[in-house]
Amino acid sequence: MNTDPVIKLEHVRKELSIRNGGEELVNTILPDISFSIGRGEFTAITGPSGSGKTTLLYLMGGLDKPNSGSVYLDGEEISAMSEEDLAEMRNAKLGFVYQFHFLLPEFTALENVMMPLLARGRAGVGDARKRATELLSDLGLSDKLHNKPNQLSGGQQQRVAIARALVNRPMVLLADEPTGNLDSKNAEVIYTLFSRLNEETGQTIVLVTHDDHFAGETRRILHILDGRLDSDRKLR
Amino acid sequence: MKINYHLLMIAFRQLLNRKRQTILTLMGISVGVMVLITAVSLMDGLLQSFIQKIVEIAPHVIVSGDKVRPTVPPQLVEPSPGTRVDFIKNVSRDEQDVIKNYPRVMDLISGDSLVQLVSPSVSTDVIAMFGTMSEPIQLFGIVPSLEDGIEKFSKNMLSGNYDELGKTPDGIMLGSTEAKDFTSRVGDRMQIVSPSGKIYSVRVVGIFQTGINDIDDNCYVNIRLGQSIGGFSPDEASHLYIRVNDLPKDGIVAKSIEKETNYTAVTWEEKAASVVALFKMISGIVYFLVVFVIMVAGFGVANVLITNVLEKARDIAILKSIGFRKREITWIYLMQGLMVALVGSAIGCLLGYVLIEIMSSIPMASSSAGAIRTDRLMMGKSPEYFILASLFAIIVSLVAAVGPSRNAAKVNPVEILRGER
Repeated sequence: MNTDPVIKLEHVRKELSIRNGGEELVNTILPDISFSIGRGEFTAITGPSGSGKTTLLYLMGGLDKPNSGSVYLDGEEISAMSEEDLAEMRNAKLGFVYQFHFLLPEFTALENVMMPLLARGRAGVGDARKRATELLSDLGLSDKLHNKPNQLSGGQQQRVAIARALVNRPMVLLADEPTGNLDSKNAEVIYTLFSRLNEETGQTIVLVTHDDHFAGETRRILHILDGRLDSDRKLR
Repeated sequence: MKINYHLLMIAFRQLLNRKRQTILTLMGISVGVMVLITAVSLMDGLLQSFIQKIVEIAPHVIVSGDKVRPTVPPQLVEPSPGTRVDFIKNVSRDEQDVIKNYPRVMDLISGDSLVQLVSPSVSTDVIAMFGTMSEPIQLFGIVPSLEDGIEKFSKNMLSGNYDELGKTPDGIMLGSTEAKDFTSRVGDRMQIVSPSGKIYSVRVVGIFQTGINDIDDNCYVNIRLGQSIGGFSPDEASHLYIRVNDLPKDGIVAKSIEKETNYTAVTWEEKAASVVALFKMISGIVYFLVVFVIMVAGFGVANVLITNVLEKARDIAILKSIGFRKREITWIYLMQGLMVALVGSAIGCLLGYVLIEIMSSIPMASSSAGAIRTDRLMMGKSPEYFILASLFAIIVSLVAAVGPSRNAAKVNPVEILRGER
């Protein structure tokens, strides 16, 4: 599967500088990391907290830029793109799910899911509504379309967030601890959902988690230790 | 970028979410707009009504006896080499400058097609006596039938009949201020002491009130009587009052009169210039102060937006991560500023309208302290006040929104997303 990489990192170095009084402390998160992820892969990035796995995900999503090295998405070097182009690229090719749902509290579940389609005028309101309704129904939320986020349970909120990430049919779904804030029952629903997505639609998924059980559901595990690729295991 | 409906919805719902703060900000803008509208209406109303009264009642051009080009006294001593001549002072006669042979001058002026009416008058400072009271007054001798076309006395009579003045050779018409001072009524006899000391007995035939205090101080008699009291010859007048057909052309009329007759002609604009300038200065000060009210309201807008941006940093981060660009984020918050300004202005216009209506209907004790007499506030009414005040509020709000909007656009999603616990 690695023959057709959709994400490729080449000698990526990322430092974070923390201002402490007058001093500037430079903290190297990722000294030098290279790997690639193929189309249709379901990959988990694991590692202890502070190992740099979240930073890695933000770099892949173009939310953050490396200090040196290159990040490619779909053959394009996103680490060299302008902020404007990155916004366009994220909207067109990526979907994000975070540990917290981060839904807009003033909008209903349906409106939240429509938002990425409307953001760039990718679809008219009618089409966006249709697509969002279908997706939410697929995720078992057909009776919660018009609920505001605070009228939903934690699991439901996270499923709405996943629908929002999927609504523009992204090339890659990037998830940062998507079950970190859920009880085991709801977490299980999300695991199943991700596996199903990958199997049924061939959705490329990159998942950051420290949950070994969840990682075990995936097809490949990249274990990160102190910013270095510690192991790269293919499952099944 | 086209203004997308969803951006407006985000802006609108965020404002709605902070109801109390938004309402307070709206109130700030509304009150600012209301006060500005009312102040402009008040100042403009005063000025306009003053000008209107003047145009209606005062002569458009006044010709007086002053010469435009002074007549040079003949040389007393023929200068020749070696002669020294010292002039200490050119002694002038102690008499008023008058328009000589005024009927001929009137004919000359009337020839101009722009001139509607010419009315002669003589003015003399005299002492009027009634019972035990005496007071200096300015007495005008006029041709009643002509003068009515200028000062519209017949429409402004408090008592008596204006036509009586023309029919009564010893009749006098009093301005309301003088009539009040003397407590004299129509039919009473008064004495006038001329500058030369002669006493004339006159009968009050009417009392008028124009509303312009300068005119209501005056008293009028027939021109013949005025001439003999003031010591004028029958063909002399001190002023010619002119009404023109087309008001903006009064300057042209005045110029051509000066050229043809060599007598000084002054337009009403020149005469009222100092009062108009004073009005404008006072309005300037008032506007300056009121503008600050809206500026303060602008701080309110900045405040509600800054709070919104801080509180919504997480939402801004997520909007950015799903593909909103800087300019769209900026738009959301500029729109919030605009929405507050539009709604605030609309409410302010409504309140301003109501306030103007209320203020212009409150009866007030008439006062003779100002330039004109009125029994209520004269408020200007023009859509311009509303448009100007709203436009100003909108500009101030947008300017106030620029800073917070730019801050919103600068939000770095990684910092916010990482910072979440």
